[in-house]
Amino acid sequence: MQETLENQSPETSVRGSRPRSSRPSPPVVFGQSGIAMAFYKSGALADIVIILGVLGIFYGIIQAGREWTGILRPTVLIDLSFRALPRYTLFSLIRGLAAYGISLLFTIIYGYWAAKDRLAEKLLVPILDILQSIPVLGFMPGVVLALVSLFPHSNVGLELAAVFMIFTGQAWNMTFSFYNSLKSVPQYLQEAGSIYRFNWWQRLTQIELPYSAVGLIWNSMMSMAGGWFFLMVTESFQLGNRDFRLPGIGSYMSVAVEKGNVPAMAGAVVAMIIMIVMLDQLLWRPLVVWAQKFRIEDTSQEESMQSWFLDLLRHSHMLRWIGNINAAVGRRFATMTSVLFQRAPRYMTGAASEAPNDTSPATHRRSFLSFVPRLLFILLVGVLAVALVQVVRLLATVRISEWLRLLRSDLLTLARVIVAVVLGTLWALPAGLRIGLSPRLSKIMQPIVQVAASFPAPMLFPAVILVLTKLNVRIGFGSIVLMLLGTQWYILFNVIAGAQAIPSDLKEAAASYHITARQRFWSLYLPAVFPYLVTGWVTATGGAWNASIVAELVTFRGQTLRAQGIGSIISEAAFGAKFGELAAAIFLMALTVVLINRFVWRPLYAIASTRYNISK
Amino acid sequence: MEPIDQQPVLLSSVDVSHRFPMPNGKMMTVLDNITMEIRKGEIICLIGPSGCGKSTYLRILAGLIPPTSGQVLARGKKVSGLTPGVAMVFQMFALFPWMTVSENIQSVLVPLALPKEEMQHRVSSVIKIVGLEGFEEAYPREISGGMKQRVGIARGLAVQPELLFMDEPFSAVDALTAESLRADLIDIWDEAEGQPASIVMVSHDIKEVVYMADRIVVFSANPGRIRTVVQNRLARPRDYRAPEFLAMVDYIHDVITQNELPDVPPPPVSTASQPIYEPLPPVSSSDVVSFVEYLDSHGGQGDVFVLAHEFGKEFSNLINIVKSAEMLDFIDTPKQRTVLTALGHRFANMDIDEQKIIWKQQLLTLSIFRTIYAEVQSSRNGIMLDDEVRERLAQLLPNENPEFTFDTLINWARFGNLLAFDEDSDEVSLQ
Repeated sequence: MQETLENQSPETSVRGSRPRSSRPSPPVVFGQSGIAMAFYKSGALADIVIILGVLGIFYGIIQAGREWTGILRPTVLIDLSFRALPRYTLFSLIRGLAAYGISLLFTIIYGYWAAKDRLAEKLLVPILDILQSIPVLGFMPGVVLALVSLFPHSNVGLELAAVFMIFTGQAWNMTFSFYNSLKSVPQYLQEAGSIYRFNWWQRLTQIELPYSAVGLIWNSMMSMAGGWFFLMVTESFQLGNRDFRLPGIGSYMSVAVEKGNVPAMAGAVVAMIIMIVMLDQLLWRPLVVWAQKFRIEDTSQEESMQSWFLDLLRHSHMLRWIGNINAAVGRRFATMTSVLFQRAPRYMTGAASEAPNDTSPATHRRSFLSFVPRLLFILLVGVLAVALVQVVRLLATVRISEWLRLLRSDLLTLARVIVAVVLGTLWALPAGLRIGLSPRLSKIMQPIVQVAASFPAPMLFPAVILVLTKLNVRIGFGSIVLMLLGTQWYILFNVIAGAQAIPSDLKEAAASYHITARQRFWSLYLPAVFPYLVTGWVTATGGAWNASIVAELVTFRGQTLRAQGIGSIISEAAFGAKFGELAAAIFLMALTVVLINRFVWRPLYAIASTRYNISK
Repeated sequence: MEPIDQQPVLLSSVDVSHRFPMPNGKMMTVLDNITMEIRKGEIICLIGPSGCGKSTYLRILAGLIPPTSGQVLARGKKVSGLTPGVAMVFQMFALFPWMTVSENIQSVLVPLALPKEEMQHRVSSVIKIVGLEGFEEAYPREISGGMKQRVGIARGLAVQPELLFMDEPFSAVDALTAESLRADLIDIWDEAEGQPASIVMVSHDIKEVVYMADRIVVFSANPGRIRTVVQNRLARPRDYRAPEFLAMVDYIHDVITQNELPDVPPPPVSTASQPIYEPLPPVSSSDVVSFVEYLDSHGGQGDVFVLAHEFGKEFSNLINIVKSAEMLDFIDTPKQRTVLTALGHRFANMDIDEQKIIWKQQLLTLSIFRTIYAEVQSSRNGIMLDDEVRERLAQLLPNENPEFTFDTLINWARFGNLLAFDEDSDEVSLQ
């Protein structure tokens, strides 16, 4: 999936270097007074922004710390006034970022281990694949209950549960991306690293991390967007009459819905959008533009991506100063590790021909640290074995008749997932083509679609259910609409990217031979966007399965709406602590996901990457 | 200076062989019993047709790949892991795109744990030596291929190696740039005072080899063996147009073509015993057709070496095209000349439908096509799965990579309307 995601990155040629001064100075535009521009260029503005940013982060941490260590309340107290909204948004943001930090750490450790240890790789990659297929939302009640009982007197348990749930929505695709990058570092770069005796630290920081950066950043963006879904669900989590809601934008929304406070609902939606846009402008876009310097290809592209915030930061003296220190420390550390773990290589053999042979860094490391990965591996196998035994024991308690009921429900949910994806494709494919083929529309619509894709659908569930009940739609069908709400954007998003990537000579050929619109669709547009469409489908089905857990069982104004399906069974089993049933249902759902991956998506991917690969 | 054969041996290989398993489980021999030594103060060039394993051999000498059998000895001691004293310049430059020119050079000095001043001194001095002043802060993507390779060379020199290995270093830059890089490299080596003492270079360009080398090691392919070693005692500086230089080029050229396109034909196919199966060169039918047509419109004959230039193909690639055309009896190759046969002349002047008929007829003179054709014909429904065909090819041509052979077989058979291949159903059938 990673390659296709990378394909979506707008082609750019921006470098990490400072803007060259050779460019003619821009004419002074009305409103850009000389003083303001000088202030901007001197870097003072950038330094002030950085100082304010650091102070803001400190403030956030202090606020969050106070909230975390606060006493656990029986019910959440949410102030529905707009003045309180920024604070709640900040809390949600901190949870998302904390989870992202953990995801990144997990990604680097797990991905590195899987890529470097041949033996562990055979276990770690399938585990990751399974983790990716498991509907983690099913574990939420268990995780919340366990962590709350660990910290009975403070909010720490609840907060940790929220962060953990978001983490499970973020980590897997990032890890896959990093692992794949590590495995695909070009051979000549690896050989250069070997021949010049780079140690593992130098390899990691100077070859492997830079090489992985582009893919990792794109996947981080996707992950962060996916994480909001889990944030909304955990923040507004209630179990029976127990209230586990956390002060945040999700609980604000859920209280607003309970109270029927429409302005507050709208406020929450606006706050969420502002948060998504701010993150994009202040974090992701600068990162993406900066990461252009890690691209491998030499090709220079026509259109370059810009980030005003990065341009601002590049004027900063403070950052340059920190960067220099950082580089010096990095070099020192690399030298230090090479002195510690290996002898400095000699390139002259003549002087000391009786000295023993210089050996590769790899063999040195093996002798020095070989027991650590082995130990970890044994530990891993042990944990897995115990977990497996437990799961099998749980599954053994489920009766055959029960299995049959679960299977029926599973098929019902599968049908809903398929219908949701088909419905999504029916409108997103033509719309995506329309947008992607028109540069003007793309420019307007793409940012909107991006925000829509990042927007957590569960936030809108109450409003949609309100409309559905007014229209007398039963929840069995209504849940399809709820699934569609979150997943259609993935399809749209990918189709737009695919349509933009259609080479203009093909479009021109179609036009010059007067090919009709209908034929153009079937013989050019559809095949050309097919690989992107498959990526969109995979992401969308994954999202739909997860959404089924919250879409098939919804509490709306004190009333529970339930649709027959594996999602509602997982929810109920989790609420009722029926662990045997829960394990069986999750097992069935994960199995379905894995089977579909293997027998539907993988063959489709194979076709997409050979027959419908436009770059070949 | 003392004669080269009295200089100490820096590096040698003893009976080095390299084999790797093919998809069908058989072993493919890439290098077969290579024994060679590199002495102090010489430039050695390895040349040979593509697929002769010369790049693999260089990597074995560098310790990047362990040989399947045999030993690499550095000053007489067995090497395990990386060979001491070796720096390497890569064909695709292998610069880190995220580092500037000077950071690229600095990065290889970090493992040496040098004092800061020494590190900076070395970086600036090698930048000066290779003529990169002013480009210190440029990123690789901002500079030309020739400049990139200068960075590659500077990086190699910075670690002050005893041996500089170069893997087709100038094949990714244009001819003019390559010429000036070669001259500069010789100058650098002259003034390097033993750092590097010797250069080992892999190349496929005969002129380059004659210009650079003191000793030329000619490899033959399938399996990779040392065909011969030629001493090159031409005085330096060498002139590409000097008669002695051209004579040496012709000589090396003869050695290679003699080997790859022998004048003595292989023994005729004996009907009594097993037929001999011809390895198929990895060449597309359209290349062969256009080569035959090209030759016909340029006097019907030519020197392989000159043709390579004119026809715009790499020498080793052209050798394969010539070999293919000869297998199909379109040309003959006495010495290093290629001469169109009567059939070839007729073929060149036909329209494409007639060409396809002749092509099919000529394919069926090759036992590999006859055999596969007959087997597809006699199989159930006249259909064989592609993996079955690959399996058969692996049996018939045990020393060849069945994947490549299959691709060529299908390509040639498609042009001759002999066999059809449906990629979706993996079926090979009669046309």
